[in-house]
Amino acid sequence: MFRAKDLSVYYGDFQAVRDVSLDIAGNEITALIGPSGCGKTTFLRCLNRMNDLVDIARIEGSVLYHGVDLYDQKVDPVEVRRRVGMVFQKPNPFPKSIYDNIAFGPRIAGFKGDMDQLVEESLTKAALWDEVKGKLKQSALDLSGGQQQRLCIARAIATEPDVILMDEPCSALDPIATARIEDLMRSLVRDYTIVIVTHNMQQAARVSDRTAFFTVEVGEEGQRTGIVVEFDRTEVMFTRPSDKRTEDYVTGRFG
Amino acid sequence: MMEARRKFHEELEILEADIQQMGILAEKAVELSVDALVRGDLELAEQVIDQDDAIDDLYISIDKRILETLALQTPVAGDLRLISALIHINAHLERIGDMAVNISKIYRSVRDLPGDAKILAQLQEMGDVVRPMIRTCMDAFARRDLELCLTLPDMDDPVDRLNMGMYKEVAQLASDPRRLDWGLRMNVVARQLERVGDNAVDIAEQVGFLLTGEFREFTDASHEVAPLD
Repeated sequence: MFRAKDLSVYYGDFQAVRDVSLDIAGNEITALIGPSGCGKTTFLRCLNRMNDLVDIARIEGSVLYHGVDLYDQKVDPVEVRRRVGMVFQKPNPFPKSIYDNIAFGPRIAGFKGDMDQLVEESLTKAALWDEVKGKLKQSALDLSGGQQQRLCIARAIATEPDVILMDEPCSALDPIATARIEDLMRSLVRDYTIVIVTHNMQQAARVSDRTAFFTVEVGEEGQRTGIVVEFDRTEVMFTRPSDKRTEDYVTGRFG
Repeated sequence: MMEARRKFHEELEILEADIQQMGILAEKAVELSVDALVRGDLELAEQVIDQDDAIDDLYISIDKRILETLALQTPVAGDLRLISALIHINAHLERIGDMAVNISKIYRSVRDLPGDAKILAQLQEMGDVVRPMIRTCMDAFARRDLELCLTLPDMDDPVDRLNMGMYKEVAQLASDPRRLDWGLRMNVVARQLERVGDNAVDIAEQVGFLLTGEFREFTDASHEVAPLD
């Protein structure tokens, strides 16, 4: 699905991520783990060109998506973001009705089909339909945190992406809402490719197929740069990682 | 968070030290049980039986703390492999303690029967091999020494051969029913010592798993070693 090759990301003079090479397979959940400042979110944001929105950001290396260079001048970043959806840490529904939250993206994209059906399908896929079908006109802000997050997932699904990026989607949720989102991820991965940044290593272990461990390398002048240490099947990463830095991180031997 | 993690790793070290203590107790029990049998020392045999409670208590204590660790700390990677190895090694050592008890109980039940010096010498020889096997696998564990682990199957070969040869020695006693009765029980003792050796090999396999992340059997029960003759 994605092939990052020697990808480096700079914010001005600051190199946030260095030489990341990762292949992200389709219909799998790939988890990105690592300490704060290790560049995992920066890397995630490269996958749908969210970093374009930061003026001083620039990249070196390449990211192929279905074999196409995502950063080619001919590629439309808006189209990229439609096909590669994103769900954020804090649920961020629009201050509109539940229905309009889902319909918003498709309307902008000029969707001409049956909007009611698309809304129902999206909410069903996000395992939210049964809870909200009787109150679609109510404000999305009245939903619980877990419901809001599933609404955001439904909203991402509505534009018919094939990838969903998730940046710590459960960190603001309680364990029950978290379990719902994790179940949802496992069912969505049949139709979508999911890349998730999580600080919760047990979550990475529970839901993901592959795990990439990022860490921070501190240079001679104290500059901190994110790198990928190890990338493997999740069960390997959590039972017999091959790099000592991975071992130390997942077993809590840091600091 | 860090403090909790540090305590967890200290607890792992304590568990490992306790497992080493189990190893010392199990090895001692085997030594004393064979000594009691060969020397005809009933008091020593009773001591082995009584002292097994200490092994059992330590086994239960270790097992309980391992379960708590799994529930509370969700160990992964090397920590998880260590926990898994500890669970197995703990059970193997407890079994070895039970085998020493079995030997002592057998001795107690046949001590009034006439014996045979050659068979006793053979059992002594088996004991002299399996005790170092327990020590070696536990040393390999303490030192994280894969090469040392791999020496266990070779150490085990003579034990298997002596065990398989035992029934022939026993058959020699067939003309005297009381000596045969004694001999048949000694065949069971040989079997117990052979099992001690197998458990030591199994422990070495667990250490191999801890070190490599891949579990493999060093020997295969479906592929018998060749008998001596």
